[in-house]
Amino acid sequence: MSAISETRTPARTAAIGWDVGAIVKFVAVTVIALVVISPLFLLVVASLKPDRFQILADMGSFRAFWVSNPSLDNYRNVATFSGALPFGRYLLNSLVILFCTVLGGIFINSMAAFVLAWGRLPGRAIILTAFIALYIVPQESIVLPLLTIVNKAGLSDTFAAQILPWMASPLYIFLIYQFFIQIPRDVYDAATVDGASPFRIYWSVFLPISGPVLATVAILLGIETWNQYLWPLMVTNTDNARPISVGIASFFGHDSVYWNSAMAASVMMMAPVLIFYLAFQRWFVSSFISSAVKG
Amino acid sequence: MNTVLGKRLLSVLGTAAALSVTSLGLSVAQAAELKVMFQGDPYEVTIITDVAKRFEAANPGTTVQLINTPHDAYNEKVGAAVSAGSLPDIMQLDAPFLANYVWSGFLQPIGGVIDKPLLDDMTASNISQGTYPIDKQLYAIGLTDSTVALYGSRKQLEALNIRIPKSVDDAWTKDEFETVLKTLAAQPGTKWPIDLFRSYGTKTEWITYAYEPMLVSMGCDVIDRTSWKATGTLDGAACVAAATEMQNWVKQGWVVPQSAGGNQFYAEGRPAALAWGGHWFYAEAKAQMGDDVVVMPLPKFGEKGASPNGTWIWAVTKTASDPAEAGKFLSFMLQDPAYREQYKEHAGFPGLKSFAAASPLYAPGGAMAVAFEQASKSAVPRPPHPAYPTITLAFQNAMNNIFDGADAQEELSKAAKKIDADIEDNDGYAPFGKVE
Repeated sequence: MSAISETRTPARTAAIGWDVGAIVKFVAVTVIALVVISPLFLLVVASLKPDRFQILADMGSFRAFWVSNPSLDNYRNVATFSGALPFGRYLLNSLVILFCTVLGGIFINSMAAFVLAWGRLPGRAIILTAFIALYIVPQESIVLPLLTIVNKAGLSDTFAAQILPWMASPLYIFLIYQFFIQIPRDVYDAATVDGASPFRIYWSVFLPISGPVLATVAILLGIETWNQYLWPLMVTNTDNARPISVGIASFFGHDSVYWNSAMAASVMMMAPVLIFYLAFQRWFVSSFISSAVKG
Repeated sequence: MNTVLGKRLLSVLGTAAALSVTSLGLSVAQAAELKVMFQGDPYEVTIITDVAKRFEAANPGTTVQLINTPHDAYNEKVGAAVSAGSLPDIMQLDAPFLANYVWSGFLQPIGGVIDKPLLDDMTASNISQGTYPIDKQLYAIGLTDSTVALYGSRKQLEALNIRIPKSVDDAWTKDEFETVLKTLAAQPGTKWPIDLFRSYGTKTEWITYAYEPMLVSMGCDVIDRTSWKATGTLDGAACVAAATEMQNWVKQGWVVPQSAGGNQFYAEGRPAALAWGGHWFYAEAKAQMGDDVVVMPLPKFGEKGASPNGTWIWAVTKTASDPAEAGKFLSFMLQDPAYREQYKEHAGFPGLKSFAAASPLYAPGGAMAVAFEQASKSAVPRPPHPAYPTITLAFQNAMNNIFDGADAQEELSKAAKKIDADIEDNDGYAPFGKVE
């Protein structure tokens, strides 16, 4: 009897311990998930309410998380390509800026990194150090000189003004550089022996095997570009090239906040990012892990 | 495979470059003769866009380029435009910042370029918000103005036999106001007797805009408006007593805390009995409470009453390519019947007498008539001084700290020193402080 109880007791403890641990984990994960999801849920629910007054009246109570008569009117009013605040246009502008910046950014940063890692460039180490040093310069401190350059170049209120200055980044050059220098020298030499030019080696050999780091750069640069506010605010004057981040701010007036429109526009701004994330979440995780390991 | 991928990438990049070049071409083609920078609520953006189109139709050959800038980032955009030497021809500005802009040399007087009947139609409060105190010239004009009123529930006040003031002369005295707060605090269901809209926080103009009149009514000010010194005024006995009094309301639990949001007056169960709100608050309250909302004048804390004024007004910049044309646009806009009609629909607070007469909400007998009467009798502009950005920041931080329990004397002295230091750093913002 005592032998049996001696053998059973640890097993029972282990089972209870596992259960308690699982419950604690479940509760913790649920709480964290609620904390993360509830603002997003509130955002979507509020965007379906009939007007800003209803949103204001419900704010601060649990009714904020409930909509009795959901309506898509806020989306209909916001998703327009004409009128004083054409959010459809702003969203499209944002997508164009995002697409061009990320694509151009991958191209330029990886080329610079390739030259720094493998090119016959005098003073490579100094240039690389200068690049890294540049990373500590905050964007806000260069906004005014950059604005003057953009104005003098006649690029004000264009897509180019929002794309060109931000494609190249010391951080991304350094990130890709770190990846490139870990590729064995034999790979480069073999391609050279085959008669490939440096650009051909970069394009046909290095780029195809750099998926993880390029994905990391694309994701980081994409998020950075999508959330840009100060710079587009400075360089855009009209709806021609204004992105949605600046457009949303128009709902915060001097007298009132138009929460219904702001919420609908925010959902519209969030949706592409969310869809992109859900579609590529495996890439997100693996690319961040790989860059963390390499970094 | 890689070559195909490369070709695709190159073609995409080519398209991107073409897009950029196309957009550059578009912006050049749309270059405007009259650049107008403004901000506003979404409905205002529509109103201004519409009136610009009507102006273009009425004045063939003149193009209006509208630079709509989000309200919260307006000053940053102005700063950037100044630095880049690209100020527009016409710009909107928040009235209390006018002195700073004129002193900095951004604006020019508009008395000579605006239609005379329009100038004659301005209310005294509107003139005061657009006038530079040094040369007494008008630099800005607007269709609208603003004020703050006291809102309550007619049913609740009548049930408690609380007198409802019907005119400015009839406003509650300080003792009466505090008795009302005490009475309301004792009511079951009333969580806070008054919402002072602390939820607006220190990142807006609210504290200076809405609370400074309390100080003025209690016999002091944020700065001496003759010597332009804050020390001795803002940290003087009268202001310290006034700030301590206001702090006491918070200590008693009478004021809606900052964290509770700005909807407590009309939220379910009406946790806040009264609201010290801007004229725009009427629409929010009315939407939830209907005709039960009653609008009252601000209390008279001392010998005289005081109320805030000032809103976003229109000015012509010093670098305007054609000031006469800019004046023509402003005159057209402010007299345009459709423009006025749209502002009327959105309960715009009148800054022109004719607009007031045509606005049922503010005309005699209207729900907000007492608010308009208040603007004509007790409006006090915020200090029209180039140091205003510093004045408002220092005062707002001080009042916020005082509400949070800090020592009033200490906080106001700190604010006064900060304001005076800024004025000294700028050599007194001459000629301010040197003229009578």
